[in-house]
Amino acid sequence: MTILDRFRALRETQFGAFVPVLLALAAIWGYFGLVLPAYDVMTGEADSFRAIFLSPRNIYNLFMQSAVIATLAVGITIVLLLGEIDLSAAATAGVCAALLGVLVLAGVPGWLACIIVMGVGVVMGAAQGVLVAYVGIPSFVVTLAGLLGYQGLMQKILPTGNLNVGDPFVRGIARVLIPDMWGLALAVVVVAAFAFANLRKQSQRKAKGLELDSPLALWGQVIAFGIIVVAVVLTLNAYRSLPLLLVLLVALTALLGWISVSTPYGRSLFAVGGNAESARRLGMKVQRIRVSAFAIVGLMAAIGGIFGASRFGSVSYTAFAGGSLLLEAIGAAVIGGTSLFGGRGSVWNAILGALVIGSLGNGLDLTGASAADKLMVSGAILLLAVAIDAVSRNNAGGR
Amino acid sequence: MTSENKLVGQAAPPAHLAVRGIQKRFGGVHALRGVDFEVARGEVMALVGDNGAGKSTLMKVLAGAHAADDGAFLLDGQPVTVATPNDASALGIQIVYQDLALCENLDVSANLSLGDEPTKPGWGFLPRLLRPLDDLEMEVKAREAIDKLQVRTLQSVRAKVGGLSGGQRQAIAIARAVGTESTVVMLDEPTAALGVAQTRQVLEVVKRLRETQHAVVYISHNMRDIFEVADRITVLRHGTNVATYTTSETTPDEIVVAMTRGLDTVSDEGAGDAA
Repeated sequence: MTILDRFRALRETQFGAFVPVLLALAAIWGYFGLVLPAYDVMTGEADSFRAIFLSPRNIYNLFMQSAVIATLAVGITIVLLLGEIDLSAAATAGVCAALLGVLVLAGVPGWLACIIVMGVGVVMGAAQGVLVAYVGIPSFVVTLAGLLGYQGLMQKILPTGNLNVGDPFVRGIARVLIPDMWGLALAVVVVAAFAFANLRKQSQRKAKGLELDSPLALWGQVIAFGIIVVAVVLTLNAYRSLPLLLVLLVALTALLGWISVSTPYGRSLFAVGGNAESARRLGMKVQRIRVSAFAIVGLMAAIGGIFGASRFGSVSYTAFAGGSLLLEAIGAAVIGGTSLFGGRGSVWNAILGALVIGSLGNGLDLTGASAADKLMVSGAILLLAVAIDAVSRNNAGGR
Repeated sequence: MTSENKLVGQAAPPAHLAVRGIQKRFGGVHALRGVDFEVARGEVMALVGDNGAGKSTLMKVLAGAHAADDGAFLLDGQPVTVATPNDASALGIQIVYQDLALCENLDVSANLSLGDEPTKPGWGFLPRLLRPLDDLEMEVKAREAIDKLQVRTLQSVRAKVGGLSGGQRQAIAIARAVGTESTVVMLDEPTAALGVAQTRQVLEVVKRLRETQHAVVYISHNMRDIFEVADRITVLRHGTNVATYTTSETTPDEIVVAMTRGLDTVSDEGAGDAA
């Protein structure tokens, strides 16, 4: 077994799919957090070792910066599972955010405005899904048209290109912090639930005489999950506290993750992505599944728009439709290990991928790199991720 | 030159699925010109014919993928209608296409219950598509299906189908067809792309199907495989029946001549040069 084979086998396991993106994240954090400061000390540029990148304050900002990318990436992952792509997600988020700003300005209560724009997002996504599924236009073309059209629509809604959002409900999403103790309690409860679910499944397997997971993998999974969750909460507490925005993001991802892995609907997403003809012969409503997946991206884009408006306190054209958000979100999904060829991936990986993209941007900013450097490094990382995807697919398929 | 008397011989077991006088046209092409076909439970009926003889069309008609223009369907002697794939599977008629139609990105147990996944009880308030999957039940069922066919080389039902050998995939596709309470299983060229050992594996699975009282329709070009597993052989040529032979009473040469030249020349030239 060569190293490449081992790597492929690793990616096929449930938790192993996280390993490459976690390694990438560790490498980036190690480089910006430890290697660069140490190099500065050795060359005499800095008089003492200062790990600015790994400071709680920077980690907090990093998570908040990555949250909008992650929200979109989670949605995009759903269509990528089908083997489709959505290039209009960021523009949809922009339209929804702009609409949200206009609505609250007109006096609509914040919660109602949020519900309205989520509905609008669903309709915008589903409309593209109908064109893909029933008219038969490739999703690349439909959503490229959507990207252009929705960018224009956003400019129509926001002729000035900028609008401040002061509504307390909307701003609250990013501003409300969970008190330190509550945050920790939440983390402990989540880890305990994860451990309980895993152990219960193992005992049920034993009772039914099925193959068991190795205890090492089982406990390794639980312990790794526990360490990551508690460490994140402690780090955030060390600067401010766990922000509500992140709790919402994780809860949404957990919901979509559960739907995509543990329901017949999710299974049909994977089936259509893996072999659409087979899914059709088995009686699955392939077209409806496609439309629903695009509706989910629309919903997640709208939520991303709400999160963005909440975090920035304003809606601007460049922050959504006109900026780099779209490519960062698609890049995050792919770097997370979701295949562009469909049928393989996970929404959780999208969050880790968003952290990779966010960390790169943040780290390069801290070292004073130019925008040109950032673009080139991001491009190289994306290319590497897609190459890994293509190489591991060559083995898994036969086609 | 239809040969009714040869079609349903004295020794023929009572048919489970039978079709009579099936006609199918595609535009100007008359693909099936009144074909009769039958298969009994616990029997492997081979369906052979040269390219364009109508094997695939007949099989698709039986599976409901094409609706017949004319003709009768009888299941255990009762007239039935098969116009769509759902009609066919409701009657217990399953087909394993040559491309197998497996999802390589999913594991064996997921593939076996795809489209009909068991869900956990107590979630009836949710729409079926959003109820939690009972993946343990899925694995139990997959294990049973695999054990029934005695696919010994398959280590784990949690292995991804993409990593399996051609013979194992064929066995899993067959297991999926059998698993859904089916009584008629049609196999389209199941060994066409397989090596010697894997062909053996698939033929063993086909024999298991006969032992479990399934009616098996076996389409192949490979005379050696056919003479190993089939009980009877139906030969088609130019969209009509040539004859139905009992395997133990015929030879590969006779079948090849019937496939290529039809019946009336057989007596003149005897077992010819083909094989």
